[in-house]
Amino acid sequence: MPNSSVTGGNARRSPVGRPLSSRRTFLRTSGALGAGALAGGTLSGCTVFQGDSEGTTVRIWSWLTGMDKYVAAFNASQRSIHVELSVIAAGLSGGYAQQTNAIKAHNAPDILHVEYQGLPQVLLTGGLRDLTPDLADLSDGYSPAAWQGVRPDGRTWAVPMDLAPMVFFYRKDLFDKHGIRVPRTWEQFRDAAEQVRQADRAARITTFPLNDGSFFAGMAWQSGDPWWRIDGDTWRVGVDDAGTLRTAEYWQSLIDSRLIRTGGTGTQNWIAAMHQGGLWGLLGASWSVGMLKKSIPEDDGRWAVTTMPTWDGEPANGMQGGTAFAVSDESEVSEAALTFLRWLSTDPEVARIGATFTLPFPGYLPSRKTARGEFRNDYFLGDPVYDVLDEAAERVPDWTWGPNALGLFSTVKDAFGSVPAGGTDLPSAIREVQSSSVSDMRRRGLSVEEGSRR
Amino acid sequence: MSSLAPARSAESEAAAGSPRPRGSTRKSGRSRRNAAAMLLTGPFVLLLLGTVLVPIGYTVWLSLFTERLSGLGFDGPRQVFVDVGNYQTVLSDPAFLEGVGNVALYAALHIPVMLGGALVLALLLDSAVVRMAKVWSLAVFLPYAVPGVIAGLIWAYLYSPDVGPISSMLPFDPLGSNGVLTSIVNMATWQWLGYNMIIFYTALQTVPRELLEAARADGAGPLRTALSIKVPMIRPTAFVALVFTLIGSLQLFTEPMVLRNFTGSVTSSWTPSLYVYESAFVSNDYGRAAAASVLLAVASALLSAFVMRLSTRRSR
Repeated sequence: MPNSSVTGGNARRSPVGRPLSSRRTFLRTSGALGAGALAGGTLSGCTVFQGDSEGTTVRIWSWLTGMDKYVAAFNASQRSIHVELSVIAAGLSGGYAQQTNAIKAHNAPDILHVEYQGLPQVLLTGGLRDLTPDLADLSDGYSPAAWQGVRPDGRTWAVPMDLAPMVFFYRKDLFDKHGIRVPRTWEQFRDAAEQVRQADRAARITTFPLNDGSFFAGMAWQSGDPWWRIDGDTWRVGVDDAGTLRTAEYWQSLIDSRLIRTGGTGTQNWIAAMHQGGLWGLLGASWSVGMLKKSIPEDDGRWAVTTMPTWDGEPANGMQGGTAFAVSDESEVSEAALTFLRWLSTDPEVARIGATFTLPFPGYLPSRKTARGEFRNDYFLGDPVYDVLDEAAERVPDWTWGPNALGLFSTVKDAFGSVPAGGTDLPSAIREVQSSSVSDMRRRGLSVEEGSRR
Repeated sequence: MSSLAPARSAESEAAAGSPRPRGSTRKSGRSRRNAAAMLLTGPFVLLLLGTVLVPIGYTVWLSLFTERLSGLGFDGPRQVFVDVGNYQTVLSDPAFLEGVGNVALYAALHIPVMLGGALVLALLLDSAVVRMAKVWSLAVFLPYAVPGVIAGLIWAYLYSPDVGPISSMLPFDPLGSNGVLTSIVNMATWQWLGYNMIIFYTALQTVPRELLEAARADGAGPLRTALSIKVPMIRPTAFVALVFTLIGSLQLFTEPMVLRNFTGSVTSSWTPSLYVYESAFVSNDYGRAAAASVLLAVASALLSAFVMRLSTRRSR
């Protein structure tokens, strides 16, 4: 993986003795001219102006879409802190590797990009700052799922940004035309899948991307048996607990009866199928709104969104992704970093900016209200998007991500690799993942017990 | 290595000596030569140290340690010396051994097809049979100019069922678990065929024309000339190409890495290089990654040495 996006701290140094205010003016102008210029560290390498009246430089690495715009707005809004963004590759495409390597090499940026699912694994580096006292006052403002996501062991390790509850997108125009009812349970979903195939032999209700471990985790999350649980000083691992096995068996039966596709989402193949009516639905999350609008922009007025089908009518759905930001333990400007992160996480301005280019779904509830007011829906039919997402966010059951979650996604992908060809099935693959996960965690010295059920 | 040459020639010149008597002039001349030698070899030595020896040393050092966690692990890791523990883990890891098996199968298919094809094409170009040799050689060479990742993506799209035409023409799925090896061999062969053909073709140009004329005068046809004269004459070049291809096969990474985004048939440890990547950057197990890298390097070195020895023995 190329590391070209790390500009490090060597691009330009501000000339000694030059008044900083002129740089600020320059910044503001450049921010107005085009926020994009700030990305990629054009101004990186300023020496750390710590604590004095001149202002402080805070370095952040992130792959969040639109982060350049947020940073530009923050830098323009005040003089005491200057945030310097380096855009890095998305998490599993190299972002986590780059960040954990930097922590190991003792040159991590002040702020790191972690997702809820990646936080415990990054924590194993021992390189993050415990933010428990710093954020205690914000606890009531966040959606419980977000707040729990940054507190795996009861200490606060990161500042939540957004939430990604899972929902079901479907072709409302085609469902209506063929009289297919929107499925509320997974049994109804199977019927709907059959009806879709009857209506158009080449079409399927959705794809179940076997190459995406975090997607499968999100689907298993709904079933109520978390893959990990913290019990005192021990990890309880239950990847193959009853709920997940039930999920695996259900989807295996849909694969066997050829009611769904199994290819990845977001690929050229998938975009073609979505656009040409080969796929009538998408099991997605809040960020899928942006993905749909970007991948198939001409398809406005066709799609609607609803909550995930449920097991036995019990309202629940998982999450897939969701961003938070952590502070490096070695940061010398943690105060300033936290000032920026509090602004990023809770200021309504951020939601307003976000609504101009995506559907922001902040973890901080007051900001979500702002986002809802600002978002202009010109794409979806049916229920208002925010109503559905709000309901989905309420339905998220307890879940803890484990210290090997990112590695496990890759194990899941490997184990599912031969499913389409009939080499194995989802339940056996999941049992295999459980045993390799447990032995891997033990080998690393962690305290582990099998089974996460209480 | 060439940058060592001036130093050695300066030395040997001094050692061979001129009839001048031992004296201060000679001594100062020698120390000046030594200084010059150091100046000239300095950049090479520094680069060798900084980019080869130190990183290798660090890798070996890393491979002897592991990061041990305790409890939940949130207090960070401790570095623990494990001796050859990481090597044992790697060598007994079925995922690694499977990767080695994949690479062996790949090499068994790719090397004969690609080098054989390159040799045949080079002989055809070199014979009088082919017109517009320059155009042909450029056409076959062009794929080498395409960056590996781009070539990988292009092929991956060609293999994809709904986007590319290939899967509907083949009796098997080129991205399925049974077809993916041949797909990767095909990608690599497409990329490297022209490159090796140029190497062979250049070597063929150096075969003395008198020799070929003599053969023709003795009544050897073009085929006989190719097999009995040209091929034996370029054997050393062929062995060098073989060594490079062998090392390249062991280190197979780009093609499977790209295909991983298109199919689940390529696992995260499908080749030893992918195994190293996965250990270091997905599982954060640097000790295991370092041990696997060292094993891979040692295997490459042993194999190359073996092939080179084979080449000198056979040419004798």
